[in-house]
Amino acid sequence: MEFGWSPEQTAHRENVRALLERELPADWDDIAVHGPGSDAQTAFSKIFCKKLADEGLLISHWPKEYGGNDMTVWDQFLMGEELWAAGEPRGPQYMNVNWIGPVLMRYGNEAQKAEYFPQIASGSVIWCQGFSEPSAGSDLASLRTKADKVEGGYLVNGAKIWTSYAGLATHCFLLARTASAGKGAIVILLLDMTSPGVQVKQIPALIGEGDIHEVFFTDVFVPAENLLGEEGQAWEIITFALQNERIGIPRYAFSRRMLDRAAEKLKADGRFENPVVRDRAGRALALCEAARLMVYRVVHQRATKAPQDAYGNLARWAIIQADHAVNDFMTEFMPEGLLGEDQMQIAHHQRAIAAGIASGAAEIQLNLAARRYLDLPSEPRRGL
Amino acid sequence: MDFDFSEDQAAILSGLEQLISSLNIEAPKDAVFSAYSQALDNELTEGGFLDITQQEGFGLLDGALIVERLARLPVSVEAAASVLIAPAFLEDTTRRPVAILQGKLTKPARFLPMAKTLLVDTDDDLLRIEIPEGAVEEVETLFAYPYGCLKNPKALSSVSLGAGQLAKFRRRWRIAIAVEAAGLMQSALDLVLEHVKTRQQFGRPIGSFQAIQHRLVMAAELGQAVRWLAFKAAWSDDEGDAAIAATFAQDSTPKFVTDLHQFCGAMGLTLEFPLHHWTYRLRALLGELGGSSGQAIAAADAVWGSKNV
Repeated sequence: MEFGWSPEQTAHRENVRALLERELPADWDDIAVHGPGSDAQTAFSKIFCKKLADEGLLISHWPKEYGGNDMTVWDQFLMGEELWAAGEPRGPQYMNVNWIGPVLMRYGNEAQKAEYFPQIASGSVIWCQGFSEPSAGSDLASLRTKADKVEGGYLVNGAKIWTSYAGLATHCFLLARTASAGKGAIVILLLDMTSPGVQVKQIPALIGEGDIHEVFFTDVFVPAENLLGEEGQAWEIITFALQNERIGIPRYAFSRRMLDRAAEKLKADGRFENPVVRDRAGRALALCEAARLMVYRVVHQRATKAPQDAYGNLARWAIIQADHAVNDFMTEFMPEGLLGEDQMQIAHHQRAIAAGIASGAAEIQLNLAARRYLDLPSEPRRGL
Repeated sequence: MDFDFSEDQAAILSGLEQLISSLNIEAPKDAVFSAYSQALDNELTEGGFLDITQQEGFGLLDGALIVERLARLPVSVEAAASVLIAPAFLEDTTRRPVAILQGKLTKPARFLPMAKTLLVDTDDDLLRIEIPEGAVEEVETLFAYPYGCLKNPKALSSVSLGAGQLAKFRRRWRIAIAVEAAGLMQSALDLVLEHVKTRQQFGRPIGSFQAIQHRLVMAAELGQAVRWLAFKAAWSDDEGDAAIAATFAQDSTPKFVTDLHQFCGAMGLTLEFPLHHWTYRLRALLGELGGSSGQAIAAADAVWGSKNV
């Protein structure tokens, strides 16, 4: 057991920081303020991801056979940590490289790999995930969007909601069902968002512009070759995808950066000598560093190819606590930031209030950890 | 970054496990507030476990692994100060157990009834006091450590180790708090998990109720976070890491302890149920070095400095 970095890992982190220093424009904070799904950040992601691709860093953690460089699990994670702390200049494309690509590697056929990998590797496509529906949020298995089998493919009808990045997405990782009930009837379709019958409507939200949408599907034809995996395999694929997604966002890194920034501002304003302020800042700091180590423990499991348990669910809970603590600290001691004085504080606030909801509700994490980490007995199902 | 034990660490812990097994240590059957094991202390001393940090090739983290494991036992033994604090300040580390104190010499301290050395942070100096036989009066307490007070502090001679040592003394004390808390939290949680899986109400185990499950997961997360923060602080011996680990440990303790007792109902209020042997050590640690506010301010100061600019 030890908690240090190798010289190579330190050099890699420095390299990523230098790249950010070099490539982020002077008005980056203004671009990043509305979140990864905003028009401005999505547009910038296409410039930045191209640069990352040129540097060999966009999909460097992918295997060589798919155009990557077999970057280690740790190096990939350290890069993600630096990028998220900087406001995630990959915009929505972090999702492409973190889990869309790896899911396609595992479950996609050769034609799908040939079509999608070059697009992702060039940093020019935006994917959204068509999971949640008006009646199926945390209870994803009860989704209703239909995929009726027709000649040559599927005809999709239904609606998705709270879909991040859909406004500018070129593709959708879409969940729909071929029969009325059961997880086995769910299929995953790789949908071209320009298909006739797809309509996207932005939902005004507390979490920033362009971040969440409704997506309507009216007789949208999806060719059979766009089915991912086999019919009946969708739940296995979703479970694999979510494992990558749950700690894929090192939110604590941005929170820690904001906390460092808050401390400097409070010092400059002559308010940091107040021990109450330092007490609360210290507690928020402890939560950030706790989340970091909990997540590192999960990354270590991956790096050593140890069996995955529910530690990721536990780590998600830690991440949520850290995000909330930093947000609460700044809201209480720096309310002027939310009154228009500090766009980055507003941006952090908007990310933090979604921390317990996006990528699977906090309560679902607690349920999963109760059963799979603590081995607690299941709650009996009530009779009808 | 490696969360698994090295071969050396695994070997040390395996040896410690054998020692613990040979003593058949169980929770006290008598209704007692605390249980101190002199037999365990003797064996640990004999086996060289308490001077691990002074041995070639071993460091503070290896000592922390031992202290954490010992804290999981239902009996207490003075290890944290001897392993993690005293070697940095004492030439003669055989004069132990070691008690530690901050503030006035009349205050009660853990392990003082059996201590041979007392280290005192007087706010402007670090003092070493040798404790002669009969100099200590035991203090009755709910806390599950032996506590005592010096009967007549003025009659004892002290050696000044210098104000310059205080920062290091507090840093090591913070690491010791967090490491010990990690072990205590683990065993307390294990006991309560066993209880909620077997205790039936309304025809099913109480651990199957979501209201309880969620709070137990939160408790588990707190315990795990303390564990990694504590071990990282022991590895780095860094001012900020130490204060962060102690902040998290003390900040977590009230909700952790309250919830765990809550899930055991009236059973958890009795002395025959051994939960208090861990939770009332946690509660004792809660107030040390100024409590969670003291640590949080220390963490902020270590990371950002305390002065306005």
